[in-house]
Amino acid sequence: MTVRLLHCAAAVSALSVLAIFGFLLWFSLPVFQGGALAALFSWHWRPMQGEFGILPMIAGSLCLALPTMLIAFPVALGLCAFIHGMGPAWAARPLIGMVRFMTSIPTVVYGLVSVFLLVPLLRSSLSGSGFSWLAAMLTLSLLVLPTIVLILDNQFRMIQSEIGLGALALGLTPAQQLLRLTLPLSSRGLLMAAALGFGRAIGDTLIPLMLAGNAPLLPHSLLDSIRTLTSHIALVVATDSQSAAYSSLFACGLILFIASFLVNLGLHDLRNVRRKGHD
Amino acid sequence: MENRTPELNPTAIRIENLSISFDGRHVVSGLNLKIPQGGPTFLLGRSGSGKTTLLRAINRLNECLPGCETNGSVSLKLDGEWQEAYAPGMHAEDLRRRVGMVFQTPNVLPLSIERNISLPLEVALSMPRAESNARVEQALRDVHLWDEVKDRLTAPSISLSGGQQQRLCLARALALQPQILLLDEPTASLDFKAAQQIEELLDELKARYTLVVVSHSLGQAHRIAEHVFVLRDGNRIDALPRQTFKDKDMLLAAMDELI
Amino acid sequence: MTSKSSFIDKTAMAGSWLSTLLTMAVPAVLLAFLLHRSMPAWSVSLFFGETPPLDAMLHGEPVFDGIWPACVGTVALVALSTLIAIPLGVASGIYLAEYAHGRLGTLFSFCVDMLAGIPSVLIGLFGFSLLLLIRKTVAPDANTGLLLSALCLAILVLPYLVSTTRMSIAGLPSELRLTGASLGLSHNQVVGRILLPSAMPGIFSGVILAIGRAAEDTAVILLTGAVANAGTPGSLTGNYEALPFFIFYLSAEHQSPEELAQAFAAALVLLCLTGVMLGFARLLQARLDQKWKTGHLN
Repeated sequence: MTVRLLHCAAAVSALSVLAIFGFLLWFSLPVFQGGALAALFSWHWRPMQGEFGILPMIAGSLCLALPTMLIAFPVALGLCAFIHGMGPAWAARPLIGMVRFMTSIPTVVYGLVSVFLLVPLLRSSLSGSGFSWLAAMLTLSLLVLPTIVLILDNQFRMIQSEIGLGALALGLTPAQQLLRLTLPLSSRGLLMAAALGFGRAIGDTLIPLMLAGNAPLLPHSLLDSIRTLTSHIALVVATDSQSAAYSSLFACGLILFIASFLVNLGLHDLRNVRRKGHD
Repeated sequence: MENRTPELNPTAIRIENLSISFDGRHVVSGLNLKIPQGGPTFLLGRSGSGKTTLLRAINRLNECLPGCETNGSVSLKLDGEWQEAYAPGMHAEDLRRRVGMVFQTPNVLPLSIERNISLPLEVALSMPRAESNARVEQALRDVHLWDEVKDRLTAPSISLSGGQQQRLCLARALALQPQILLLDEPTASLDFKAAQQIEELLDELKARYTLVVVSHSLGQAHRIAEHVFVLRDGNRIDALPRQTFKDKDMLLAAMDELI
Repeated sequence: MTSKSSFIDKTAMAGSWLSTLLTMAVPAVLLAFLLHRSMPAWSVSLFFGETPPLDAMLHGEPVFDGIWPACVGTVALVALSTLIAIPLGVASGIYLAEYAHGRLGTLFSFCVDMLAGIPSVLIGLFGFSLLLLIRKTVAPDANTGLLLSALCLAILVLPYLVSTTRMSIAGLPSELRLTGASLGLSHNQVVGRILLPSAMPGIFSGVILAIGRAAEDTAVILLTGAVANAGTPGSLTGNYEALPFFIFYLSAEHQSPEELAQAFAAALVLLCLTGVMLGFARLLQARLDQKWKTGHLN
């Protein structure tokens, strides 16, 4: 009896993701049926004129997530390397504590501080309103950084628990051990951290919503305003402008879901290869 | 393969044609054995000869390990009646409450000293607090641990020494009031003094329980065994006559010849 | 060591020091900025506006211009969502760790991992569309509100609970299972009375993650009922206020410098409120641990 209850609980948890997919599919059906699919894939979002192109938002999501990873990943790697050998041993624990604290800071607070610190800075030192691709990129990097650090930290610790004593016996300093042994051995772990970080970056709503300017246009410079799929969904639902736009919203959701699914599939494969490799 | 024990004591455990495999790999094949009441009955043999698997067949603990298949029969005299351990109607949990086990490394639960004993009583026997308190004290007295711990029953069990922990595990098994006790190398991880205490305890307990002991130590078998069986390659079991294992040199010679 | 590898070593060293110093500056600057900009707002009226505090808290007097309703809203959201998510998540984790075998277990695990990666705005969209469906079919008067948001937040934090529970139980030493079995406990008893209590620290780390996540989320509540002005939540349906939304709203729509200062103060209040809730969770964990280890509370 108890086991059946537990089974049901697990089934509900697993099914909720299917439910989400189901709803997204169902509510975006009008797009596929009405032949409006081609219209979705245009560069113009002008709901008043009946144009529901979402390509600018797809571009916006990618333009935000990829550079964010290019900034955040190396810095996270550097910080993690510092914690695991490049820096003094006593600093490791307080630094991890600081990183944990950073993950506990709400996204909206990062956004708030950026709006009133970073944006005016950009506005005065560079041109434009400050609400830009650049502002969102920098803040998002800050947001995903601690998460990547914690994942990398976990990976490094796993590997170092296996090789640590042996490496010390060989006379390697902690820095050499990190650079020459741990890093090369953790290639899969690095990939996993990158994948998870990318998933986080592409899935964030609040930072682009607060900082990127929200113009549904392809950016030509770092200071241009962009809109991502996530902030697009939030904007259209919250402003409740036109229910005709809703189906295109669910199509956006579907695209995000599929992207997230692909990232997860990749992670699943990485995890399985690691496990097999260890056996 | 037959054993050759003269039946001095009535039989307590009867093993017939026992074969056990894990994921297709045979560990024990076609064993026949009669273990007398009381004891201690020692099972000797090399590492990998299947001693522990044989012991665990008696309380069906092998089933908790993945890929296990058991064939043959194990019968135990419990409460004056013969019970089939592997009968379809026999629940493994019921069996294990009447057949206690002590492991090689003391496996105290991460609880207080008192709770280590009272939790199984509460969960396995649904015993109310008042009754279990009495049993806890009795069990600790039986293993001569009461005086050492009576003032710190709520202290964590890991604060005890290795020997004390093993005695606690023994007390925990005794508290359930089993009729048969299975001991898997009970002194292997203990220092000399602690091992000696356990051996003295076993000597006391043999009057009230049937004891089956798996051991690597010829010296221990020499000192306290009442019956000795030698297991080889999981499929051959020989009984050693009393005069053989009561004489150190004869025991050594016999073991050299057998394994 | 060749000079080339020495160059790599030195660059790596410099890079990691630089990364660390840069990152260390962030929380410091952040907190300092919050403190500085929130200065003007710190007073009782930050929470209660013009309404006397006791009236607001005990007699339900409406509060305008204060963040008390948003605080209540946030606490209510966390409480409701964890009430749903914890039993569901822990039960699922136990099932995946101890009872699910083979393909079914792998499939369930994959689905839960998938759930962890879904952007929160999609979960909000799901909640919104669920409401549309309910409106079209069973209850035309249904509305967004605490219940819908809590449900969606529960889905959001479910993966944390499932995976920490599963990993904690799977990570327990195998002797524990054998010991339990040898004492005559059934499998269910071993899981419920030995494994589950032993895995509590790990499970609670999942609970703590869940609480933090539910308290700070904005995207989900944006789409399922949070508004800027609704008063203290009176029912499970109907709009409500919450701190993250309050901060978000004011950052864009503040009418005066005073309101902006309130937003910064609210940010600090949110951090403290989350800390308090986490403190309660840790306290509960300590009590449960004591009960498990010694058999009684005292």
